[in-house]
Amino acid sequence: MDLDFTRAEQDFRTEIRGWLADHVPAALPSMDTSDGFAAHRAWEAELAAARLSVVSWPIEYGGRAASLIEWLIFEEEYWAAGAPGRVTQNGIFLLAPTLMRFGTEDQRTRWLPGMATAEHVWAQAWSEPEAGSDLAALTSRAERVDGGWRLHGHKTWSSRAAYASHGFGLFRTSGERHRGLTYFLFPLDEVEVRPIAQLDGEHGFAELHFDGVFVPDDMVLGEPGEGWRIAMATTSSERGLALRSPGRFLATADRLLRLAAPDPVLADRAARCWIDAEAYRLHTFATARRLTEGAEIGSATSMGKVFWSELDLRMHTLAMELLGERAAATSWHDGFLFALAGPIYAGTNEIQRSIIAERVLGLPR
Amino acid sequence: MNFAFTDDQLALAATVRDVLRAHCPPQALRTERVPGWAELAATGFFTALVPDAAGGLGLELIDLVPALEETGRACLPGPVVETAVAVPYLLKGLPELTKLGALTVSAAHDGLAPDADLADLVVMGPRVTTRDRVRLAPAPGADPCRRMFEVSLTGSDELPGSWAAALPRATVATAAQLIGVARHLLDTSVGYARARTQFGGPIGGFQAVKHMLADVAIAIEFAAPLVSRAALTLERPSAVRDVSAAKAAASEAAALAARTALQVHGAIGYTYELDLRFWLARAWSLSAAYGGAAEHRAIVRAELPGAARFP
Repeated sequence: MDLDFTRAEQDFRTEIRGWLADHVPAALPSMDTSDGFAAHRAWEAELAAARLSVVSWPIEYGGRAASLIEWLIFEEEYWAAGAPGRVTQNGIFLLAPTLMRFGTEDQRTRWLPGMATAEHVWAQAWSEPEAGSDLAALTSRAERVDGGWRLHGHKTWSSRAAYASHGFGLFRTSGERHRGLTYFLFPLDEVEVRPIAQLDGEHGFAELHFDGVFVPDDMVLGEPGEGWRIAMATTSSERGLALRSPGRFLATADRLLRLAAPDPVLADRAARCWIDAEAYRLHTFATARRLTEGAEIGSATSMGKVFWSELDLRMHTLAMELLGERAAATSWHDGFLFALAGPIYAGTNEIQRSIIAERVLGLPR
Repeated sequence: MNFAFTDDQLALAATVRDVLRAHCPPQALRTERVPGWAELAATGFFTALVPDAAGGLGLELIDLVPALEETGRACLPGPVVETAVAVPYLLKGLPELTKLGALTVSAAHDGLAPDADLADLVVMGPRVTTRDRVRLAPAPGADPCRRMFEVSLTGSDELPGSWAAALPRATVATAAQLIGVARHLLDTSVGYARARTQFGGPIGGFQAVKHMLADVAIAIEFAAPLVSRAALTLERPSAVRDVSAAKAAASEAAALAARTALQVHGAIGYTYELDLRFWLARAWSLSAAYGGAAEHRAIVRAELPGAARFP
């Protein structure tokens, strides 16, 4: 057992740190505004030009074939440098791992390079008005037609959809609860998109209305009827390692400690957050090791999701207390609003706790 | 980067677990003071950290972490951490080190000495003495299997070693035991929640109970890596910070496991009759031993400005 980085990993960290120091822009406007979205896309293109937008991807799709440990190093440096949030994250962290595992070679070649450069920005389309935590209750459907499918129905809480170019999500192709679901990719230009203002007033998600939108057969990911199994693989990316690397929480914990230093009572709470961020980092190194050996992480990703989302919220809540009335003038306030969503998205923390109890601990359903 | 226990480390833990299952069963906690010690000594557990040249196994603390968890899981009584982990550094070079396990040592950096009435040797601060040269006054304690004593020395010698290496190692070892205690409390509570029925079904089917137990599982899952890290970095500049982070997190995870175990068991858990009380008491006594969570968080905070996270 060791916690040492190799010479090559240390060199990689030095390279990343140096590049970021020269290139990270001053704060960009919110990615959920028209200008901010464009600015975030431009930043992604700059990252991609340096082959830093998707370091762990294969070289042919725009990556560097970096190891999981190198990817974690990249993330630590990225967030420590105060770099912008990733407008591409639904695509690069959720859809891309799914395409790599379940897509055809043609689909990978066609979609991954554009995702890496933010030429295409992808929105997720899971939830419906009557299918949230109970996702398999969804009723949006795909109708078989010559050469493809026509999509009908209504999706909601679709992150990034207000400005994105493409979407991915589940549609019903038969009546069976789980086996009747199929995973579709679709361009958003023929979908009716109704942006929804979030707590901060910006349009971070949207409703999608499908009125017979045609998609050809090559926009089905996997086989018809396999959508649930494929989507579960995607959501475990979202809950677990892929989307929530420790770097962001480590950077927040470091900033929080500096903020809390003058107040001995709140500094104790900040120290606890810092310890928890370290715990999440170490736990992730252990998980990376298991993944590298080919292990499936499965339901244990639910433990990470509860842990990081509640840590993030605790940190930002503490910052609100420390800053008082001045909080709203700082980026901590935006972070606080974002952190509030953590226990809700990617499967609420109540759903996660039930998964842990039933599938990890073996309690009855 | 290979943050996983080796097969050897896990095999040692499996041996300790088997020995303690056979020789330190829960009923022994009521009738014996050091059940399983003789059998455990035969595996080399107590001399694991003694150098090869001095007749020990020559292992490092990290090698012993999973085995120490097992001593916590079994609620093994007696001055386990003091004898197996502190003494190889406190009594460095003494020929008695080869007899550890058969030879029992209580040690206190300051304050109360655990199980000093059982000990052949007693270390008090910078002094060491034999059982016949101390006066002991029992102090009230939370843990029936970890009795505490005020020690007055009537004659003593200077320690051949020092606390500088012993104290952080004993603290990490105690944190490892706390993880084991918490794992047992979780397993027992899950077992009870599956077996106990009310309203026509197992209480473990109710979300309120499920979610409490899930929180315990999460607390253990994320405290354990801090303990492993602390055992790995004892010779690094971040050692003080890492030891304190581990003890703070392990203490809190065990305290949550104890609190939840009692709540899940309900009134039967609140009885003297049920074995659960031994593990509750161990969670409380070890949470306080070698410094509680708040004390260690204060140390973490004091250490942070100088400690770089990234090498």
